[in-house]
Amino acid sequence: MALLKERLLDLYYKMVLIREFEEVMDIYAKNGTIPGFVHLGIGQEASQAGIVDALKETDYKYPDHRGHGVSILCGTDRKLVMAEIFGKGTGINGGRGGSMHINDIKVRNMGFNGIQGSTTVTALGTAFASVYKGNKDVSVIFMGDGTLGEGACHESINMAATWKLPVLYCVINNQYAISTHYRESHPQKQLATWADGYGVPNEVVDGNDVEAVVEATERAVERARNGDGPTLIEYMTYRWQGHFAGDPAAYRPDEELQEWKNKCPVKRTKARLLDVHGFPEKILSDIEKKVVDEVQSMLKFCLESPEPDTKEALKHVYAGFGEEI
Amino acid sequence: MSMRKISFGKAINEALHQEMERDDSVFIIGEDVAKMGGDFGVTRGIWQKWPDRAKDTALSESAIIGLASGAAVCGLRPVAELMFADFIGVAFDQLVNNAAKLRYMFNGEVSCPMVVRAPTGSGIRTAYHHSQSVEPWFMNVPGLVIVAPSTPYEAKGLLIASIRNEDPVIFLEHKSFYSIKGDVPEESYEVELFKAEVKREGRDVTIVATMSMVALAEKAAEKLAEEGISVEIIDPRTLFPLDKDTINRSVAKTGRLVIAQEGPKVMGFGAEIAAMVVEDVFEYLKAPVKRVTTMDVPIPFSPVLEDYVVPTDVDITEACKAVVEF
Repeated sequence: MALLKERLLDLYYKMVLIREFEEVMDIYAKNGTIPGFVHLGIGQEASQAGIVDALKETDYKYPDHRGHGVSILCGTDRKLVMAEIFGKGTGINGGRGGSMHINDIKVRNMGFNGIQGSTTVTALGTAFASVYKGNKDVSVIFMGDGTLGEGACHESINMAATWKLPVLYCVINNQYAISTHYRESHPQKQLATWADGYGVPNEVVDGNDVEAVVEATERAVERARNGDGPTLIEYMTYRWQGHFAGDPAAYRPDEELQEWKNKCPVKRTKARLLDVHGFPEKILSDIEKKVVDEVQSMLKFCLESPEPDTKEALKHVYAGFGEEI
Repeated sequence: MSMRKISFGKAINEALHQEMERDDSVFIIGEDVAKMGGDFGVTRGIWQKWPDRAKDTALSESAIIGLASGAAVCGLRPVAELMFADFIGVAFDQLVNNAAKLRYMFNGEVSCPMVVRAPTGSGIRTAYHHSQSVEPWFMNVPGLVIVAPSTPYEAKGLLIASIRNEDPVIFLEHKSFYSIKGDVPEESYEVELFKAEVKREGRDVTIVATMSMVALAEKAAEKLAEEGISVEIIDPRTLFPLDKDTINRSVAKTGRLVIAQEGPKVMGFGAEIAAMVVEDVFEYLKAPVKRVTTMDVPIPFSPVLEDYVVPTDVDITEACKAVVEF
C-alpha cells in the first residue's frame, strides 16, 4: 500500500534535508573546520528518514555510526545537532560528543555509540523499562551490516526474543564495514536471515525505496507495541562516500558506486512525486530551496557559535560526587 | 537501632529486600539470581516476593549490564549481579564505554543509577577466573563508583547508599566474607559513600587496607601494639572516587604508610594511593611507602599456591616494622 502523497512529500523534504546537511558536513570536514571523524549517510536517506517516520517521539532511538540524518529528524533543534558536530559550546551535548555521539534525551535520541553493537544491549534496558512501566514505547536500534559481527548482537537478540521485548533491529546494510564487504565477513546471503536462529521475524527491504522502508518498519513497530517481540529488518542500500569524510574508498569498484547512484533514493522519490502523484515541479524545487536556506542558516549559527568553556569538560562526570575526582 | 549479628551475605540480602520494599523502581537481574537466589545465596527470597522484579537471564553479562544501564536511564534502579567479578571481562564495554559515560555524554541530562554487585577476591580455591581482584581495572574510568565494604554493617549500609546513588556503582563483595557475622541494625540505614573509615587510631604508621586486608591489618596492629608500635588503619570503603583527605591527614600525622591490597602490585590500587601521598604530603613522610600485595601472577588453584601468593598479616606486620625502623 502506497503512502499518502502528502506524507511522501514530507519524506522528500526530510531526505533532501539529510542530503544537503551531509553535503555541507562533508565540505566542512574536508576543509578541516570540523574536528575528528565525520561519517556521512549520503545515499542512505530513504532508510534513515523512513525508519524515523514510522516511530513516535517517545520511542527510544539508537542511531548508528552514520547517525546525523536520524538525529536531525528526531525532533531536536537541528542547528544544535550541527553545532555538536562542529564541537561548539552550543552543541546539543555541549561539544562533549561530536559527530559520533549526538544524544538528546528530550526526544529519546539515545545517542550513537563509537563501539559497534554496544547499543544493541543498552536498548534491552529501555525496552525492559517500557514493559516494566507498562507503556508501549519501542526501542529501535539502527545498525550497520558490520555491526552484526559483534558478540553483543547475539546476547541482545537472544534476550529480546526470549522475553518478547519491544525492540526493533534496523540493519541498514550499506554493504561495507569500512572496506570489508558483508559477504566477506558473514555467511548469510542476506543478513536478515541471521534472526531466523532466534525465531525472530525478519525481512529484507529495498532501503532506497522510502515507502517500502516506512511500511516494513511500521509493521515491525506494531508487532513490538502489541507485545509480540522483536523484529529484524535489513534495509539494502549503499553509502556513496567513503567510511569517513575524506576516505577515498579505493576498496570498492567504481561501477558499483555508479550503479547505486543510479538508484538514488532522493531522485527516486522525486520521480514518484512528479510522475505518479502529479506534483508540479515548482513545489519540489521550492522544497529544495527551502532546505538549502535551512541548512545555511544552521551553518551560520554554528560558525558564529562560541567554542565550549573549558570548565565544561569537568562537569557531569558524576551526579553524586563533585567535579574534582 | 535494634542490633543483631548476621552474616555479610545476609546483610546484603536484607539491604536488597528493604530497598525493593521501599522503591518499586528497584529490580534485580543476573544469572540464577531469581529462583535459585544467587550462586552465593545473596538474593534469596526476592523472586518469591517480587516475581516480576527478579530476572534470571541467559549467560549474557554484556546484556545484563547493558540492560541495567538502559533501564537506569529510564529511571529504574537495577541491581545486577555478576556471578563472579572476573566475568566483567565479557561486559567490560558496557560498564567502561557506556554506563560510565552516559551522564557526561548527555550533558548531565540523564543519570545512570545502577549497581553491579560482583563477588571478588581470592580465598575460596577457585583459581584465576573466579578469584581476581578487579578494582584497578575500573579505577581509571571516571564516571564509575567502586565500593568495597569490609564488614556486614558496611555491606548493608553501603549497598543501600549505592542503590540510592545516581551514578553506576560496582559493588565489590569479597567472597570470603559471605558467612562472616557482625553487628547489623535491623532497620534500613545508609553508610556514606566516598568516605573512608578510620578503623583504628594510631600514631606511628598508617595502614590503608581494603576488604579482606582490613582484618589482617587489625591482626597485625594488635601484634605491633605489643611491640610498642601504634598503628592507624584506614579503610577507604569507596575506592573510587577516593576520600583523599582522610588518607592524607593520617599519613601527615603518622609520617609512614603501608598499603595492603589483594591483587597484583603492578598498577594496583596501592600504586595510586602511594602516588597520591607522595604528591600531596611528601614533606611529612619519614620513610618510603610500602605496598603489601598479591604477587604479580594469576591466582593459582592449589591452596598451597594460592596462600603463597596472597598477602598475610605477617607480611603486613613486617612491612610496618620496616617503615618504622627505616
